[in-house]
Amino acid sequence: MYIYDDIDQKLVEQRVSQFRGQTQRFLNGQLTEEEFRVLRLQNGLYIQRHAPMLRVAIPYGMLTSKQLRTLAYVARRWDRGYGHLTTRQNIQFNWLRLEDAPSVLAKLATVQMHAIQTSGNCIRNTTTDHFAGVAADELINPLVWCEIIRQWSMLHPEFAFLPRKFKIAVSGSFTDRAAVGVHDIGLQAVEENGKFGFRVFVGGGLGRTPIVGKLIKPFVEWQDLLTYLQATLRVYNLHGRRDNKYKARIKILVKDLTPEVFANEVDEQWKIIKGGPDTVTEEFVKSIASKFKWPEYDLNTEISEAFYFSKLAADTKFNRWSCTNTHPHKMSGYASVTISLKATGSPPGDITADQMDAIADISEKYGFGELRISHEQNIIMPDVRKSDLYMLWQELQILNLATPNIGLITNIISCPGGDYCILANAVSIPVATAIQQRFDDLDFVYEIGELDLNLSGCINSCGHHHVGHIGILGVDKGGEEWYQITIGGRQNGGIGTDPSIAHNKGGGAAIGRVIGPSFAREQIPDVIYRLIQTYLKLRDSDAERFIDVVERLGITPFKQDVYADPLLAKATMSAEVLDAEIN
Amino acid sequence: MLRLIRNGTLEVNEWRIFDNSSTPLPGDEANWMVSLATWTDNFQFLQKRKHPVGILIPPDAEPKDILSIDVSHMNHHPIAFIAIDFPIYTDGRGFSLAQILRTQHGWTGELRAVGDVLIDTIHYLARCGFDSFLVKEGHDPELALKAFETFTVHYQKSYRQPIKILT
Repeated sequence: MYIYDDIDQKLVEQRVSQFRGQTQRFLNGQLTEEEFRVLRLQNGLYIQRHAPMLRVAIPYGMLTSKQLRTLAYVARRWDRGYGHLTTRQNIQFNWLRLEDAPSVLAKLATVQMHAIQTSGNCIRNTTTDHFAGVAADELINPLVWCEIIRQWSMLHPEFAFLPRKFKIAVSGSFTDRAAVGVHDIGLQAVEENGKFGFRVFVGGGLGRTPIVGKLIKPFVEWQDLLTYLQATLRVYNLHGRRDNKYKARIKILVKDLTPEVFANEVDEQWKIIKGGPDTVTEEFVKSIASKFKWPEYDLNTEISEAFYFSKLAADTKFNRWSCTNTHPHKMSGYASVTISLKATGSPPGDITADQMDAIADISEKYGFGELRISHEQNIIMPDVRKSDLYMLWQELQILNLATPNIGLITNIISCPGGDYCILANAVSIPVATAIQQRFDDLDFVYEIGELDLNLSGCINSCGHHHVGHIGILGVDKGGEEWYQITIGGRQNGGIGTDPSIAHNKGGGAAIGRVIGPSFAREQIPDVIYRLIQTYLKLRDSDAERFIDVVERLGITPFKQDVYADPLLAKATMSAEVLDAEIN
Repeated sequence: MLRLIRNGTLEVNEWRIFDNSSTPLPGDEANWMVSLATWTDNFQFLQKRKHPVGILIPPDAEPKDILSIDVSHMNHHPIAFIAIDFPIYTDGRGFSLAQILRTQHGWTGELRAVGDVLIDTIHYLARCGFDSFLVKEGHDPELALKAFETFTVHYQKSYRQPIKILT
């Protein structure tokens, strides 16, 4: 865990004072609505359907038990007793009062938390792999680099008013779990001739124009990372479109200029500032790394795995949970655990104050009091002794936090949707619940195997539907909710598997393709069920995943099967018409 | 009203923007700001004035066009200041233009932010190299003066500390 020094703390506190003043001036009529709007957004405060919503940053997804208890306190005292984990390693509170926001932020500052740049047209919270620092397949520890980028980007004087929001993701592993291909800048750690640096993808993103990022620079040595980022942002700040909100993201600039010309412009700017004051020194990297409190693994006593293996053999339920919800660790004797927030019937990513407190306790009992938030909206316990897994699982079961569905169809990524969000065209949570209920037979869910199902209530794509193996998008037609289905999307391919894909496709990410006319809300579970039946019929073995079959055979067989059902084919909207409207 | 922050204090703004629709150049009187285009076309004349002009740069100016002004030359000639216009405070191009003028073109003279200049943007503006500020109507200039001290510590190494204001 990164521990603030005096400077870090002072900055966060001074931002709280600044925001308190801004809120006061707004309430006194000294700041206009329009002036205050952007200022509050830069501090994570939206005006939503029911009340203001506050988005709190969890930088690179790292959280201590103490911080989680404070979030529980905030949820109880100023909200309605729960929060919502987002797909960008933030937590949102949906029921705040505007006049309480400065006090909430002051409370958060006492545990080294803030809402700085969680919204607005600025550099947002930098995200990374939820197993950063503990993954078995790691080339570098991205946490240190995320902190370096956090500091560089926080309250950046030149890039506070960009044409549009700007998201950076960092992957330090061979398997990209940070979805670097669908960020404004995606950084993939690589090694070249014994030196380490980053592969830089620019212009990826979802939203109404989903594009996979282009490889703008195959290798930027680590010393030059910040100057390269600065050059990239400067080109975007000066030349990104400001006349049309829908064409203002960096992906449009990269597309309009062509990736080659864009890369040249960045290089032109970079060569002027390369080697300048923002060059990263070894000393600086060390000083940042030393401000993290790293887990003190027990290296002396060998952790016995005998108990763990005996329970795996004896208890099928535990075995199943272990298969999906535990993950390889760099240290022998340890595992990482995903606490699923995707139990059927609870909104994906929602977490109650009681669950926060309970997870905080558990993280101290079975770990180092450190947690991670995944972009799949679950909580990770990074360091659990294998000998403790069985007891941990039993405790999680009591709390309804042991749903064994990580990587499976019911681990749905979903935005809050029309129930909360003012932008949404359609509800998300009830659709997610209906799908989970349709797939309530765990044996069947296991039979289906690895499958990412992502759901967004509107084209802003907060539920990352474009990169779901199956994606669902809520659309509005004459006040009615309709849902468009895509298949074949994915968030990564992994640099280890196929370097040519990694080079060409932004970490192997791909955008899903629409299968055809949209469906009514109540049809969705049946449509998904039918897609699954087609997959099971077509796969050549258990090892061939849904996404692999779509890749091998294309979308046609799926499309034919779904629309062969006269009840499903009755949908009245054509995808083409919809696409035209949405774009 | 005192709206212009300059040299750490508030002054009355007496500067006017020259409109070249009737005459090509302003008379040799005090307090004229001319556009970047007017300056580049006429700098031979303009630099000989008894009353130096200010140059107003629009937010969409290409940095290389500004580069075509010989800034090192300007540093030694009578130019009152370079002003960068913020048509709306959310247009962040002026921040990059200022930083480029300061760190890459060597402009050491006065750099003024004009237009939609808020109490809330002055701190960032100062860090990007602005040293005078025409605070917009409706924003208390006294509060704007205090905004230099909004943050007393910073992360970014290649940006200056806001100038300490003596009150």
